[in-house]
Order: sequence, then C-alpha cells, then structure tokens
Amino acid sequence: MSLIHIENLSKQFKILNRREGLSGAFRDLFSGNYRTVEAVAGISFDIDAGEIVGYIGPNGAGKSTTIKMMTGILKPTDGIIQVNGLAPYNNRIRQAQIMGVVFGQRSQLWWDLPVIESFKILKEIYKVDQKTFDRHMNLFNDLVGLGALYTQQVRTLSLGQRMLCDITASFLHNPQVVFLDEPTIGLDISIKAKIRSVIKELNSERNTTIILTTHDLGDVEALCQRIIIIDKGKILYDGDIKKVNALFGAYRTLKLQIDDFNEKTIQLLKEKLCDQFGEDNAITVAETEESWTDVTIDQARTPLSDVLNFVMSNFKVDDVRILEISMENVVRKVYDGALG
Amino acid sequence: MRSYLPIARGSYMVGLVYRFGFLFTIVGNVVYLGVAYYLWRSIYSYSDTIRGLTFNETFLYVGLGSAIFILLKTYADWYIHYEIREGIIANYLTKPLDFQLYNLFANLGSLLMNLTAITVPTVLLLTFVFKVKVAFGPGLFLFPISLLLAFLISFSIDYSIGLMGFYSESVWGLSTTKEIIVTVFSGALIPLQFFPAAMQKVLFWLPFQAIYHTPIMMLTKPDQALNVFLPMMAVQLAWAVTLFVAARLFYNQAIKVLRIAGG
Repeated sequence: MSLIHIENLSKQFKILNRREGLSGAFRDLFSGNYRTVEAVAGISFDIDAGEIVGYIGPNGAGKSTTIKMMTGILKPTDGIIQVNGLAPYNNRIRQAQIMGVVFGQRSQLWWDLPVIESFKILKEIYKVDQKTFDRHMNLFNDLVGLGALYTQQVRTLSLGQRMLCDITASFLHNPQVVFLDEPTIGLDISIKAKIRSVIKELNSERNTTIILTTHDLGDVEALCQRIIIIDKGKILYDGDIKKVNALFGAYRTLKLQIDDFNEKTIQLLKEKLCDQFGEDNAITVAETEESWTDVTIDQARTPLSDVLNFVMSNFKVDDVRILEISMENVVRKVYDGALG
Repeated sequence: MRSYLPIARGSYMVGLVYRFGFLFTIVGNVVYLGVAYYLWRSIYSYSDTIRGLTFNETFLYVGLGSAIFILLKTYADWYIHYEIREGIIANYLTKPLDFQLYNLFANLGSLLMNLTAITVPTVLLLTFVFKVKVAFGPGLFLFPISLLLAFLISFSIDYSIGLMGFYSESVWGLSTTKEIIVTVFSGALIPLQFFPAAMQKVLFWLPFQAIYHTPIMMLTKPDQALNVFLPMMAVQLAWAVTLFVAARLFYNQAIKVLRIAGG
C-alpha cells in the first residue's frame, strides 16, 4: 500500500471581492460578495515509502495548498486524501507524529532562544527518548556540523544555517514523511548544495519519504527520482524525472544586453542564428525586459559556447548573463506538449 | 502534560533573554507605585477611611492590583492573532499539539517570567519600602489557587480574542476595548468597594472582578471568614471552566475558516 494516497482531491477558497477606494472599503464591511477560487482542482497521485518526490509548479499553482491538505492544516473540499491510511484533517494530532514539515519562509525554531533549546522542546513535544535524541543529534552533527551552532540564538543564524537547523529538526522524531516547502529559497549556491546533500543523506539513512516543493529546478535535479508538475490546480505531469530532465536539464537561457538595441535587433539576431546553426536549431529568441534579449538554447543540440561566441563576434554586447531555465518556462514547454 | 511543560520553560527563557525589557519593567513598576503612593496619600489626608478601607488597605489593594495586572498581562491576544494572520499557526498545526494547551503553557511561561520580574519585586517593595502590613488569615492560603483561576480566566479571554484572527484582519480595537473594560470593572485601577453598591452587585457576577478583585481581596483582607471567600472562588471557578470550554468550542468553529496566506 502506498504511504500517501490522493484521489480527485480539490480545494476551493472563498475570497471576498474587495471594491476600490475608501467608499468601496466601507461598503466591503457589509458585503457578502464572495467568489470561489479553486486552488486545487481534482488531483490524484500515490506516493510510496522512501520516495523523494519533487512537487513543482509556478507561483499560485496549488503546491502549498496540497501540502497543507497532506499535513492536515486544510480540509479538502472534495476527494480522498490518506497518509498512512488515515485522513490527515480528522486525525491531525496523531498524524503529526509521523510527519515532519519545513516551511521555508517560517521557522519552527524558537527565534529568541539558542538552537539547542528548540531541539529540546521538540524532543518533548514528539516524546523522543533520550537515547534516540542523542543518536539523532550525533547524526546531525556529523552531517551538518550543527554542534558549533547549538548555543547560538536562532535569530543570529544566517538564513542557510537556520534552514539546515530547521530541516534536521523536522527529522528529529524519525517521521515517515517529511514535507519540505521551498527549503532552498533565498540561499546561495554552496549552502544549497549542502542542504541537498543533507536531505539526500537523511532520506537514504532513514528511508524517509520526502515531498519537496521548490522553485529551484536544481533541487529537483539533484534530489528527485520522480516529479509532479502542477499548474492552476491540475497535474500536468507525473512521472520519472529523466523525461523532464531533458526539458530543463539541457536548456540554458542566455541573457544579452545588446548595444544599439532597437526593434530590428531581435529579428536580425534570429536570422543570423538561423543562418549559422540551421533552421531546426531549437533556439528561441525573445525580448523579456527593457533592452534585454533572451536566447534560449537546447545544449543537447547546440553548444552554449558556440552560440555565445557567435553572438559576441557579430553583435556589440554590453552585458551577458547565463540562466538555467525557469520554472515558468518548463511549465510552458509542458503545456506545449514537450512531454508528448 | 509532559509535552507542554518545556513550552512554558521555553517562553520563560525568552523573557530572560531580553534583560533590558526585564529591568525596565521593574523600574516602570517602581515609578507607578511611587505615584500611586502619593496620590492615595493626598486623597486620604481628608479622612482615615474611605468606604471602609484604610490607606494601608487601599494602597496594598492598588499596589497588588498593578502587580497582578502586569503579571497577567501576557499579550496572548496579540501574539495569537499575529500568528494566525501571518500563517505561523501552520507550524503548530503540523505538530502533535493542542493549540489551546500550547498557548496556555506558553503563557504560563510568560506569567512566571512576570512573577519573577514584577510581582516578587513589588511585594518586596510594598513590604520593606512602603512598610505596608499584611494581616494574617485563611485568605493567604487561598491566594495561590485564586491567582491560578484568575490566570485561566484572563488567558481564555485573551485566547478567544486572539482567535478572532481567523475572521478579522486587525485585533487592535477589540483588544483595547477589552483592556479598558477589564481595567475598570476588575478593580485593577480603583478598588471595587468605591463603586456604587448596586453596581458592585452586578460586577460580582462578571468575570472581570474574578481576575483581579478576588485574588487581591485574599491579600488585602485575608482575615475574613471562609464563607466570604468561598463564594468568590466559586464564581472564579465557574468562569474559568465556562470560558475555557467556550474558547475551545470557538476554536473548533474558527479553525474551519482557516486560510493561510500563500498557495
């Protein structure tokens, strides 16, 4: 039996329609004018024990709403949701014992106290015995080197240190499933790598199921075997990461600031790239923001360095940035049928 | 219970972290006591007793009133409202914790902090600096129980106001109104004996006087018969149970409209 079973799950919110201006604000006091927003619109999937699943999608896609239903915070409007055979909403306290949760933007640690105090409080909340607690703390120390941070106040930690503490804290009671909601948000590359390796270690050490929502496709590439893409409350893709990998793994976006940029530049660039790399080069050119031109390249077909060299020798380029493909672009490509 | 005690311990420690806040509360309370002392001194310069209270009793009443007022002032309504509005409540809801008990114990920690920072110093000041004399009687033994009941009542009111966070964007108006009502009708500002007799009768049955007047009476006039104290404590107990249960029912209702920012 799967650890998490979701069938035709949906969640609607009622939102008050607010009117404009001061008089509108007054009238809203007595308004009963609600509209319904469907955050999750009938999704189904099963997750087995020990899996690391990347649950991704653009802002407002319904990711956090699903997580909040799985953790029992929100009650589904319709459909079936079971974690370890029980509905989370009706068995919140019991279910919480087998779950760990990290909300990237809100720490579960006690802000004003030294780190170790939060761990001690969690130890009592989850009724972890001293021997298990010590063993876990030693493991965390080996993995993360938390020991040095124990006596520091949480609010004096860097964002990355705090996140490492938050993640390890969520594993303290040896939960069956851990939900990580944007664990790498706002972190630099090196600490991201550290966090990914810690998550991976904990998963293989304990066989803990991990559900990861993120905006960073690097997280997904590094951690997940399986990926679920959601947009506008519906599942767009659910399956092996390898297939999706080709979508964003090989794509890079070259952001160029071209001197003397004018309305003809884009057209000219397109034509020149076509001449050089052929019609079927999988290169797209678009103007995204003021004076920046985005050239998206599939590295599997055209090496990035070739394109960059070509552009640099044919145009006067003031500035260059190279980006991994964004979540929004992946979703757009999925919509366009890239996964067939 | 074992799960909740460390929470009280944690919030007590948070109080200790802010050393300056701690010190300024003590200093502020000393200043208040000084002002109250001279105010009531000048009022009592015209007569020895007012409404059956001597200066000594009134000053003890007002001094302890302020000490207990600050003792019970844990700002639970503000914190809980903030946590609900900002979605921080999600962190508690994903733990095997009862939200009401969690907050009760977190508040107990703040209460114990206030006890160390305010009540104990105030009592010492009243005894050694202002030389106020406390009589001896059964009230002294009932005081701790009465104070605990007062805490439960005060907490349940604050908690319920905090829960308004599920419905309303701002708690300012409600909290301030509650503060004023409690301050005036509880006896924290002026001894209840100074109110008109008819009003005193009404106030006796309300929860506000149960928060301050009852425990304060145990200390200012402890040498009264048990049949004076017991009905007062019965009212306290009734309110403590009623409000605690009402807050629980309110939570069960309020949690249904939970919406946490972000999607």
